[in-house]
Amino acid sequence: MSYLQLDQLTKSYAKQTILQNINLKLKQGEFLALLGPSGSGKSTILKILAGIEAPDAGEIRLAKRLLNPVAAHQREIVLLFQQPYLFPFLSVAENIGFGLKARKVAKKLIDQKVAELLDLVELSGMQQRKPQQLSGGQQQRVALARALAVQPKVLLLDEPLSSLDPEIRVSLQGVIARLHRELQMTTIIVTHDLSEALALAERTALLINGSLVADLPSIELFERPPNRAAAQFVGVGAIIAGQLQGTTFNSQLGQFNGNFAPNTVSLAIRPEHIQINNPASQPSIAAQILERRYLGERWEYRLQAAEQVITVREAGQTPREIGQTVDLHFPPQQLFALAD
Amino acid sequence: MSYRIIVWVLALILLVPIAIFLVYAFAQGWFFPALWPERWDSALFLRQLADPQLRRAFGQSLIIATGVSMLALMFGYPAARVLELQTFRGRGLIYGLFFLPTVVPSVATGIGLNIVFLRLGLAGTLLGVMLVHLIPVLPYVVLTLGSSFARYDRNYEHQAAVLGASPWFVFWRVSVPMLLPSLVVAGVLAFLISWSQYVLSLLIGGGKIITLPMLLFSAASGGNQSLIASLSLIFITPLLLLLGLVARYLGSPATGATPRP
Repeated sequence: MSYLQLDQLTKSYAKQTILQNINLKLKQGEFLALLGPSGSGKSTILKILAGIEAPDAGEIRLAKRLLNPVAAHQREIVLLFQQPYLFPFLSVAENIGFGLKARKVAKKLIDQKVAELLDLVELSGMQQRKPQQLSGGQQQRVALARALAVQPKVLLLDEPLSSLDPEIRVSLQGVIARLHRELQMTTIIVTHDLSEALALAERTALLINGSLVADLPSIELFERPPNRAAAQFVGVGAIIAGQLQGTTFNSQLGQFNGNFAPNTVSLAIRPEHIQINNPASQPSIAAQILERRYLGERWEYRLQAAEQVITVREAGQTPREIGQTVDLHFPPQQLFALAD
Repeated sequence: MSYRIIVWVLALILLVPIAIFLVYAFAQGWFFPALWPERWDSALFLRQLADPQLRRAFGQSLIIATGVSMLALMFGYPAARVLELQTFRGRGLIYGLFFLPTVVPSVATGIGLNIVFLRLGLAGTLLGVMLVHLIPVLPYVVLTLGSSFARYDRNYEHQAAVLGASPWFVFWRVSVPMLLPSLVVAGVLAFLISWSQYVLSLLIGGGKIITLPMLLFSAASGGNQSLIASLSLIFITPLLLLLGLVARYLGSPATGATPRP
């Protein structure tokens, strides 16, 4: 039973299509990452959900209720922007209590709630500070507390961590994950960072040029992207074009046997699954190393094989020489079919 | 360093007239070649203050200027907001039209509107004078507010709305505080311009509405320098008080930018 439902959402600005027939369903308490490159329309989806922008076509439903005609302030969906947007003329406590005050909650209750929330985001005792006196990470935590104060039915996070230092980003990812575990609030986070999606969300929807190209458990999207667009975004070692005859896939890089879906025209494999110079494995294909770089723990090589450039990641050893010719082996059980 | 000198020279140029008013208003028996007046006397000034005609003019000026500030903000806020935050065809033209009154002589405007205001029954009323003052006032109010809206980040309002704040709550609790400095400056400008209006008040007031500049004008043609000086002092005192009150907002940047951590 879906709690939040987006049906055929379409939006364009001045003849440029931003979103095309977006369909998404979320269960109550689910944590979804909306992943995609910048300009893919991710933030627009959140703005439409929050009621800041209207879709050209399509419906949004929350617990079966049609949200399209409902004004932003009555939707009970809170959007957290990339910037904290703390009101500079209010104290930290007044900022957190803002939504409660708008709902005419008694002052005593607001104070109590503010103290609880400050505790939750680990900023106790900062009630009287002004936003300008806080660090970027602290400001974003206050913004998070302010959003949680009104107990929204859906929490939308629009890259709230992207402007922060890496260290603070990781620690705030922890805070967000913990809050989701404790509060079980239906949450969508927009991010262009695959690792952030993997770290936070059980499910990831991949948006490219205004269309959803994948909607899968995050780990599955990473390990077995379903199509070319998804494979290119999450990064695979090679996309192998060819033809399936029976159970044999014929390609420039050789023949692969496996249980592939009928009409498969391309296979892919993750870079860490391709093996280099494994004499026990047959068949293999000769490739020349073009470039290498150290990723920490692993070396990444770019190799030329037939007419294709292939990426391989190998666990940290002494690096292989550039220009060297090696044998590549694609373990059949690691190959997966792409839909296009 | 040279800038500081310029600032001091400017300050001197601005302060000297006030000093002269003070001297003329309170000096008695100051004849050539005496370096200093014979005595100081506040009797004339106090007599002026007690004058019922002056009190009435002062009160009416105060009501008109205050009313004009309010009306100008009421009309100027939505105008500036739409002109700066929305893009539409003819935006530049409408912006230009707002400034037309600043180039048309107010005598022309006043005589032209006199007939309209007579028909509408607004001539000779406080409301009529307030409305006609809006013509020279609004361009400055729209310009002042517009420059703030140009740097205004509407996401503060969006953030408030998604937190559950109604449009009314957002206006009073977010937009107004965010724009407070420029609202204050625009309001003060409106007050100053209205306070000094002479021609339009005369033409639309039709002699029924007497404002301070009218008394000042007739005193000026009378040539009694002590009288002119004391009237001038009475004229500028509220303005100085007002400027003093809002000094901290003058020259302060418009808000809307995210404060630096």
